[in-house]
Amino acid sequence: MKTMIQFVVDYWSYIFKGGRQYYIWLGFLALLLVPWAYGNYMQFTQGMIVTGLTDQVSWGLYLANFVFLVGVAAGAVTIIFPGYVYKFEPLHKVAVLGEMLAIAAVIMCILFVLSHMARPDRLWHMIPIIGIYNFPHSMLTWDTMVLVGYLLLNLVCGFYYLYKKYTGKPLNNKFYLPLIFISIVWALSIHTVTAFLINTMPARPMWHHGMMPIRFISTAFAAGPALIIVIFQIIRSNTALWIEDKALDMLSTIVVACLSIGLFLTMSEVVTELYHPTEHSGGLRYLMFGAHGLNNLVPWFWGSLIAMLSGWFLLLVPRIRKNYKVLPYICVMIFLGIWVEKGMGLLIPGSIPTPIGEFAQYSPTLIEIANCVGNWALGFIILTILLKGAIGVLLGDVKFAK
Amino acid sequence: MSENNIPIVDVSDQPEPAADCVERWEPESGQACGQDASPQSRRDFVKAAAVSTTALMGTAALVTGSDDAEANTTWAEHFQGNYRLMSEEEKAQALDRLEKRYSLEYDKDVTVDGTEAQDNVLFGYALNIQKCTGCRRCVKACVQENNQSRGDEQEIEWIRVLKMEKGEFTQEKLQDGYPGDYGIQVGGNAYSASGVVLEGEHYYQPDKVPEDDSHYMPIACMQCEKPPCVKVCPVRTTYREADGPVVVDYNWCIGCRMCIGACPYWARRFNWGEPNLPKEEMNPKTHYLGNRPRMKGVVEKCTFCIQRTRQGRYPACVEVCPVGARKFGNLLDPESEVRRVLARKRVFRLKAEMNTYPKFFYYVD
Amino acid sequence: MKKYQVATVIWALSMGASQVYSEEAPPCFESRKGASEVAVREVSPGLVNVKCSPDTGTVLWWGDPYDGTQPMGEMPIEADYSKGEAVVKPRESKLQLMPLCGVACHNGSYPPVPKDKNPRALAMHQDIIPDALNLQHGNGAIWCLDCHHTETRNKLVDNFGNEISFNQSQQLCGKCHGPIYRDWRDGIHGKRIGEWAADGKKRWFVCTECHNPHDVQQGSRLSGFAQIRPEPAPMLPKGVHNTDHEQHHGAGEHKGASETGQAEASTH
Repeated sequence: MKTMIQFVVDYWSYIFKGGRQYYIWLGFLALLLVPWAYGNYMQFTQGMIVTGLTDQVSWGLYLANFVFLVGVAAGAVTIIFPGYVYKFEPLHKVAVLGEMLAIAAVIMCILFVLSHMARPDRLWHMIPIIGIYNFPHSMLTWDTMVLVGYLLLNLVCGFYYLYKKYTGKPLNNKFYLPLIFISIVWALSIHTVTAFLINTMPARPMWHHGMMPIRFISTAFAAGPALIIVIFQIIRSNTALWIEDKALDMLSTIVVACLSIGLFLTMSEVVTELYHPTEHSGGLRYLMFGAHGLNNLVPWFWGSLIAMLSGWFLLLVPRIRKNYKVLPYICVMIFLGIWVEKGMGLLIPGSIPTPIGEFAQYSPTLIEIANCVGNWALGFIILTILLKGAIGVLLGDVKFAK
Repeated sequence: MSENNIPIVDVSDQPEPAADCVERWEPESGQACGQDASPQSRRDFVKAAAVSTTALMGTAALVTGSDDAEANTTWAEHFQGNYRLMSEEEKAQALDRLEKRYSLEYDKDVTVDGTEAQDNVLFGYALNIQKCTGCRRCVKACVQENNQSRGDEQEIEWIRVLKMEKGEFTQEKLQDGYPGDYGIQVGGNAYSASGVVLEGEHYYQPDKVPEDDSHYMPIACMQCEKPPCVKVCPVRTTYREADGPVVVDYNWCIGCRMCIGACPYWARRFNWGEPNLPKEEMNPKTHYLGNRPRMKGVVEKCTFCIQRTRQGRYPACVEVCPVGARKFGNLLDPESEVRRVLARKRVFRLKAEMNTYPKFFYYVD
Repeated sequence: MKKYQVATVIWALSMGASQVYSEEAPPCFESRKGASEVAVREVSPGLVNVKCSPDTGTVLWWGDPYDGTQPMGEMPIEADYSKGEAVVKPRESKLQLMPLCGVACHNGSYPPVPKDKNPRALAMHQDIIPDALNLQHGNGAIWCLDCHHTETRNKLVDNFGNEISFNQSQQLCGKCHGPIYRDWRDGIHGKRIGEWAADGKKRWFVCTECHNPHDVQQGSRLSGFAQIRPEPAPMLPKGVHNTDHEQHHGAGEHKGASETGQAEASTH
């Protein structure tokens, strides 16, 4: 018990041992929390009328970020899977960093759900026994269950590993490995269930097809590792922890492989829906070409497609993939491309046209953007803190001293 | 935003327990006096205990709320359970609390009815699209009856009337075919209104209706027998009552809007902000599950005017229709007008392929 | 123009009615403008009899659906109205047909009783019938005296020469419009307000409350029901600033893949 408290104390105090750039980064993120605080206050008191959401487009930027971040959280499995199933040592060594990312990403998901819910003060209504938990009928209950489970899994696995490293004791693999393998499968499930949240609604024809979970997983496993590559490169250049080139190569291969699947699915959707467009293709046509003069999503679609395609082409070339100077920029481009594809490319046009055929448009308000940016900033602060401590433990800087 | 400077209602203003009973549980749990420690009351105790720890969230919400109706919500109302699962006494207390709050807020004698579903009644509705002229009086009558939010950015209307253009087939349009030269693949008459058009217009505003080349179709909640909105609700706040209407317990809704996503008829509306309901326009005869004034962040929709139909009266939209296009009654009574319509007229359901089995039918003469 | 004059005349007549009305609220109309005006009044504390639309003046909501009604009276055929209490709003008092109408014209003279029912030009009632030789009902197959009693002019007439009250115009209209009459008796044509139960108390709207018997053809529309002013359109959602996206509506197809999706407005 005392060791555990010492672990927390040592971990926490290591967070404050950073260089100038570290504090500038954290300071910048903290600055983003100021408009976030104001935005949350406005939304809490005035209600969601301060956002750009309407009855016509009732799922907006918050849920878009949520859906994307579930994918990023699931993307942590692209480190765990090669590391533990294929015993790929370069990733095995730093697997815990993936778990830290998963924790931060799931926390961001929860933040976005709280932003999306108009009555967070009534959240207790969802807790079983004291409230009503409509499991198994409501997909949202499945989603909360798998997300909370994934968060717990990663907290347990990640901090167990770190704690053991901290104390210098060996891992109890009988306890640890089953949890790791469960978390691999669970990671797939969180994004599948999130896809089911969307694709089980026949009222939304743009979403209502069986391809959705595959598309989600493939783009998640492209966006997740892309972010991880960037994070690893930042860690490489700013800390004493060295992550091998082979790890980055494996991750970038995963990115390009999964992006291939994702782009293939996009192409097949476009061909299927546009060969003989029906009323059900209305959302896709609105997204790609605009409809009835409403076309504010068209540049987003083509921009994200160009970003993803060019990133994909570039990463296909091994010489470019292994060029670590260019790699992070390509990864950022792919990450942003997939973010737009999930948000503006899927969540928003799913509601347009409405089920009774009304075309509307959605633009987030400044408060909404401030809340989104702030949620990301808070998530990144948590990520930075978690990674800092974890790196400290991995490096041996945070070690139990008797 | 209402600018009422209404004082906070005293929390201790609870109904007096009967003289011969002993107060056993916390007032907040809504537990009536004299109830013994049955599993129901144990559950309530657990609930009260657990819920008090989440009171901080509620406190924050209540404290930071501006001086509108939200600030006047008593603790008891905030922590009440799901209406359907309440005991009779809890329901009576809930209704009483609401009556007091609404009466104070709207300066009227507001009644919040809790009448249950009658036996042998299943409400059904039939709308004659042959007759509908698109006058939208049903939309406005519904608003008169059901206390929706109104005003510039917050106007809620439960009924939406679609204008379906007919247009015409013409020789000139043949030139618009694609491609022109190698044999027409798409006829020019596909590019504009010809015959009938699927995409209805929502914002038509002519001088007179019905317009010559259009017919009209009002759409509101279909009160499905297999409602997709009920299935997706994570807290079971929306459910199908025994006599047919799909209702919402506004005090239980968490505002996640899954139901709005799932409804194939775009029937559900959301209170994005605190509803703007002027006192003069408020209809004081309300039902807990029907037209009582809502709060921000909850979903609402047509309930077949449950406050009227459970008292035996027609819904407001049925009464106002100037062409008698709307018919309403008990589907279980073969003598009702709606059953007669189903028997004699050409009846169809909107989006029948969704398998939601609406109890709102459309027909033509 | 003429219709407006008709409306004004009848409105003026009903203003002289013995109903009590509040000073502030102008009368609004229930179903047919000019023929079904009702005055807003409080029937009990806090309950008005009707609420009217501020945009079109139509009644939107009845606080008391039975206000101003009387029992429908005996009907020759047993139907839905026999099951529960059936009330109607009396047309006779609304139309203010002076008892003198039943015997003579307004100026006190006694016109000769018509010998037959052949159409001829009328010297009066141009406000109701602009052109008596071109009656907008029946397309030339009927004329005034097919419906109005030849001698007691404040009554309608059936095929056998018996009087029909204006309060029970359905007995007359149903003479020719059989299927509609049957549907009306069964509650599936026309309008009833009140209680939905089959044996509930209902106010039945009689034919002439909705249909103008002197102008059912409505010109080329042949619809039986006059066009009415609609209530205002719903609020535009955020993000949409005008209704341009609905103006050129109705394209099933969009020409070509590169076009922005703007529907072609070839005939619109």
